[in-house]
Amino acid sequence: MTSVRVSTATHSVTHVTTNLLWGLRRIIRDCGLDQTKITNQWETLEAGTSAWLTSGHLRALVLEVYDPRRSTGSDLIGRFDFTIDYGYYPDGDGDLWLDPDTVAFAIRRAGTYPSACDYRFVADTAPGYPRVDGWGDTTFRSTTGMARHTLGTGIGGGSLGASLSYYRRTS
Amino acid sequence: MTSTSVTVRRVASVPERTASNSWRAIADLIAAPGSTAHATLLRAAGVASLLIAEAYTRDVPIVVTPASGPRVRIYTVHGQDAAADAISEEASLATWPTAEPGWSVSLPCGEADLQFAADALAEIPEISVRDAALGLALDDDARHSASTATARSAPLRVDTSWLEK
Repeated sequence: MTSVRVSTATHSVTHVTTNLLWGLRRIIRDCGLDQTKITNQWETLEAGTSAWLTSGHLRALVLEVYDPRRSTGSDLIGRFDFTIDYGYYPDGDGDLWLDPDTVAFAIRRAGTYPSACDYRFVADTAPGYPRVDGWGDTTFRSTTGMARHTLGTGIGGGSLGASLSYYRRTS
Repeated sequence: MTSTSVTVRRVASVPERTASNSWRAIADLIAAPGSTAHATLLRAAGVASLLIAEAYTRDVPIVVTPASGPRVRIYTVHGQDAAADAISEEASLATWPTAEPGWSVSLPCGEADLQFAADALAEIPEISVRDAALGLALDDDARHSASTATARSAPLRVDTSWLEK
């Protein structure tokens, strides 16, 4: 685990934003998915995540992995949620930290996905969130037949924490 | 190997700037805003951002080679050092190293990301990636180092024929 100590809320947001994207990119790379999409969308992802962490509207940043060959409603084959806790460390002393093992464990549990699979990013936001260019409204794919596994907090910054969960299909 | 003069700069990154804002600051440092070179650099923002997020650029520099003049090595500063006074310590360059055609930028990259990053930058000939394990060696230098290493790694034979005379 890496850790440094700094002070401001802005630093916490920047640290958590960058490492959320770092974690998503590692999952995409190491699960055998094409990295082109996240590379091309990096600035948009960063802008939205940073804005909604700052405003306190971001509940979770989610990676949905789906198989376009499957029918709608059953096409989700993997999902990774970074769930934000704004009071994770209310008396935090400014530590900014990252536990790469949490992401690595999720990757090992998920395995690799077929090359035909695609993915998208979904930000779960509270009502009243500020608009950010490049983002549009959507709904989550169905998780019916999938089980959620929570691995614990993998990213921390000031009072912010981001815990990682992953879904695996059980039927 | 020939020696060339070098200028070094350090740019504050996470948590002072996000990865993409770090790259934008680097683009602003080495190219005049609004110039073709600046636009070219921003086309590489996605790849550069993920390399900065991996902190490859913390220990091994981005190398800017102008058409003429000294190379510029740029490191990104991360963690507590970035959060202190790193931005106030950033100094502009005397000239834009990308002002004249023929400039190039080499980004350090870990082995796991090398192929993808090289492919993603294939359409931007001015910007390339190199194996961070090679440190400062650029392509030309790397070829030189490789040939030197090959020569050094050739099997050695001890000539004992004089003993038989």
